[in-house]
Parts: sequence; structure tokens; C-alpha cells
Amino acid sequence: MKLRELIKKFNLEIKCVANGLDRKIEGGYVSDLLSDVIANGKAGDLWVTLQLHQNIVAVASLNNLAAIVIVNGRQPEEETIEKAEKEGIPIMVSKMSAFELVGRLHSAGISGMR
Amino acid sequence: MKLGKIKEILKADLIVGSSLETEIKIICACDLMSDVLSCIQIQSSSLLLTNLTHPQVVRTAEMAEIPAICFVRGKKPQDLTMDLAKKNGIVLLSSSFSLYEASGQLYEEGLPGCSEYMEAR
Amino acid sequence: MQRIYGSEMTTYPKAPKIQELGYELKVRETMDKNLITVQPETSMNKLRGVLRSNRISGIPVTSKGKLVGVICVEDLVNWLMAGAKDCSVKEKMSKNVVTLYTDEPLIHAINKFEQYGFFHFPVLDRLSSKLVGIVTREGIIRGLLKKLEIDYREEEIRRYRASHVFEDMLADKTSLIFKYYVVGQDFNRAGESASALKKTLKRLQTHPEIVRRVAIAVYEAEMNVVIYARGGEITTEVDPNQIRVKVEDSGPGIPDIEKAMRPGYSTAPDWVRELGFGAGMGLNNIKKCVDEMNITSTVGKGTHLEMYVATKKESVSYEVKGAD
Repeated sequence: MKLRELIKKFNLEIKCVANGLDRKIEGGYVSDLLSDVIANGKAGDLWVTLQLHQNIVAVASLNNLAAIVIVNGRQPEEETIEKAEKEGIPIMVSKMSAFELVGRLHSAGISGMR
Repeated sequence: MKLGKIKEILKADLIVGSSLETEIKIICACDLMSDVLSCIQIQSSSLLLTNLTHPQVVRTAEMAEIPAICFVRGKKPQDLTMDLAKKNGIVLLSSSFSLYEASGQLYEEGLPGCSEYMEAR
Repeated sequence: MQRIYGSEMTTYPKAPKIQELGYELKVRETMDKNLITVQPETSMNKLRGVLRSNRISGIPVTSKGKLVGVICVEDLVNWLMAGAKDCSVKEKMSKNVVTLYTDEPLIHAINKFEQYGFFHFPVLDRLSSKLVGIVTREGIIRGLLKKLEIDYREEEIRRYRASHVFEDMLADKTSLIFKYYVVGQDFNRAGESASALKKTLKRLQTHPEIVRRVAIAVYEAEMNVVIYARGGEITTEVDPNQIRVKVEDSGPGIPDIEKAMRPGYSTAPDWVRELGFGAGMGLNNIKKCVDEMNITSTVGKGTHLEMYVATKKESVSYEVKGAD
């Protein structure tokens, strides 16, 4: 599924378009621990997290993740959005909790196992 | 859903605790302790899914009166974590699924997360 | 040989408390020290009398002070069924004796009952290998019940004493003060104060909802002290109308309190985030849990946080102005 379709399907709020919303989402990863994402996040993954600070962009960049979705309706810091624009990582926000969003992504066929 | 059934769905091992009869109504998938604490109304029937295995996870569960924690990615808790859980009667499980997969599996079984449960009430 | 198995075993309650006691109690605490034994040369006829008059189901067989076997009711029954030909215990006893040591946890005895289907095990002293007692089903049940009763009574007494303290004391105003010392940077112990306070409030029979709110608020405050400060003190004052908690630390202080109160804002270093903290929700969570919250802080000196939770529905103001 393309990022654009996902945004529409799950009603995500766009905070940063960066390189565009046409990238294909290869899988999903949910974690709030940077070290964990660095070790296990795969290229093309959609990363679901509650973390708001700019380090998340660095991590997404490092692992070539497709995009970041922040949950519980939290808003990322300004520095985070600025960095995301620079690094080309799209950021979205969802009002749902991590469990609910991941549950729906999973039902939609986006797998966590690759 | 009974904790025992969840254990089966997640193919989890029982690490601490003996009672799997607790009724679980909500799932919280989270590594940030403060967020676990902020959904204060409904914790006593929730299961926490998390990557973290240090003792603070059990402290958080103790404060919020969460009856059970399931570690993911096959992680096993530290000794101090297990001791605290035993002392406070908190059940610890460990599943080899990732947090993503575990959430997906349980969601498909119809278990709600924090916000959905609150809306339905 | 036929052994009596299983279904009787499931009458053992498998409630967690019993299991906990099974680990806590040792075999020596429930064994029967009044040892009745027979010798290998004792006749089966005599054995019958011994079993009957003592109303026991199994007896250890000793020779020159050493345990050489065990003989039980079933062996007697089998002997009777086979014609009751005159013979000695030696010929009918079981030489492979399953034993327990005095210092083993009781749960081992319970497990062995299920495993082997016997109801009596001789107990040996680990160092001398001497036979010192015998453990039976009745002994175990008695031991467990006794311990349960003691624990229950102790807790009841504690709770009763504590919950009536406000009524029992003669004063115009009575309040209890609990102080906790928090060690900065110690993540293993972080949360101990909140946990202790929680148990204390439960003993005072404070409403469970209030206990939870206070526990969560104090836990968050304690975590802040551990993460940012060198150390701190949590002082809780409980009176019949409210619970007031003061958290004072000697830490770096908060330069912009308004910013700090914003959900998601955090100055936590990365290693703290990796532990699942520092998400910037702490102060906000505290605010949600308590009725009133005040923070003052001096950069370079420390932070002072005060919070109030009303415990009586009628009390709105937290300041006691004259009599209630």
C-alpha cells in the first residue's frame, strides 16, 4: 500500500510531507525505544511511536524507514518537523493509540514479519 | 478475554505468576511508562505489551494496578523485575512475536485499546 | 504394585497464596517429629497392630538407627490378599525410599505427593542423614492452615490498628506524616517510596481510587527526582480530610515551568528515554491525578512540588481554617 492511501484510510494528520507521500509501505514497526528501532527497523517500514523529539528523524533516516506516525494525538516538536523536512522523512499523527493503529495496519495487510 | 487465552494467542511463556483467570478488557502496547500511567481509569483490567524488561515496568504496573505484562521479542525480564512481580502479584509473560505482530494478533481477536474502550463506554 | 493416585490430589487448593506458602514453609515446619518406626525383623502381623493403633498409613523401617525402607498400608493389604503367610517386614517393604530433607521447601513435598502417589515421606537431616521425622498430607494441611491463619490475623490486626488511628487519638487535629528519602540516579530502587506509600495508605483503609491516584502522582514525582536530581525527600501528610504530598529535591531546577508542564516536552537525556522515561508526560500525569498542584523551582538549587488530594467529598479547601 502507498503512504498516501494509508493516510486516507486511517485518517492521519500530515505534519510533514518531506519527499512525498507516494512511497510504498513495505511493513510496520512499533516501538518507543530508539535503540530497538535502530536494531530491528527495516527499510520501507512505517514506524509507529509516541516519541516526539528530533532524534526519531535521525533513526528513521538511518534505517531508511518510509515514514513515522505519532500516536495518541501527540504533536511532534518543531525541531522534529524541521529535521524531517531536511532528511526527507514524512511525519503523520494519529488520534488512535499505538495498539489500535497497529491493529488496523495489521488487518490491512501490513505485516510486522519479514 | 481471559489471560490464559491471550497467552495461547501470543504463544507466550508464563514467567511469573500462577493465575491465568484474570479477565483482560484492554490492551496497552507501549514502552513509555508515563503513557502507561496516563490512561488512569481502566488499568485494572488491562494487559501491557512492552519491549522493556527492567524493574520499573513492574513498578509502573504496580502503581496503575495493571494485572499482567507481556514482554515481546522473546525478551525475558531481569531478576529484580521478576522479584518485584512476585511480590506484587503481577503476572509476567513473554512472547516471541514483535510488538507489532502481537498487537496485530490481539486486535484481530477484537480486543480494544485504551481510546476505543473509553469511547465505547 | 498398586498405588493410590491422583484424583485426591486435586483437592489441594491451587490458589496462589497456598503456592506462595509452599515456597515459604519448610518441610521441618510441618513434619511429625514423633517417629514411629519398625525394624526389618518385625513381623507383618505386628505391623498390622502398629498401623492400626497409631492410625497411620506408612512407617519408616530402620535398622541400627539407619533408614532402610518404608512399609505402608498397601503393602499390608497386598500381604493379606496373598494369604497373610507369616513373614517379616523386611520381605514386603519398599527399599527405594523417597525421602525429603528438613530444609526443603514444602512445595517439594506437595509435588512429590503428586508425583509418587504416596502420602508419607520420611524426612532426613541433610548433614547427618539421620531420620528425623515424617511428612504426611495431614501435616501439610495443618501447617499451611496454621501459617495462613497467623498471616491473616497479623494483617487484620495491622489494618484495624491503622484504620482507627484518627478516631482513637484524642486531639483537635490529627495527622500522620510519612517521609521517604529518594536516592538520585538509582533506577533499581526508583519507585520504592511510591510503593511503600501505596501500601501504607491501603493499611489506613484509604479509598482505593484515592490510593491509586496518589500512588501514580508520587511515582511520577519520584521518577523525576531519580532522573534529574542528586536526591530528594517525599513528605506525605495524611489527615481525615486530605492527603498532602511535598516532593523536594536538590537537582538542577526547572528553568521554564510552563514549558515543562506541556505534554511531550522533555529535557531528559537519551539514556533515560531508552529506559522508557523522559517522554515529557510526568508532570502532566501528576496534574491529572491530584486536586491541586504547585511547583516552584530555582535553577541550580532544586525543585519543590506540592500536591493535594481531598479524601472527604465535602472538603473543598485544603487549608484548615479553625475547627472542621
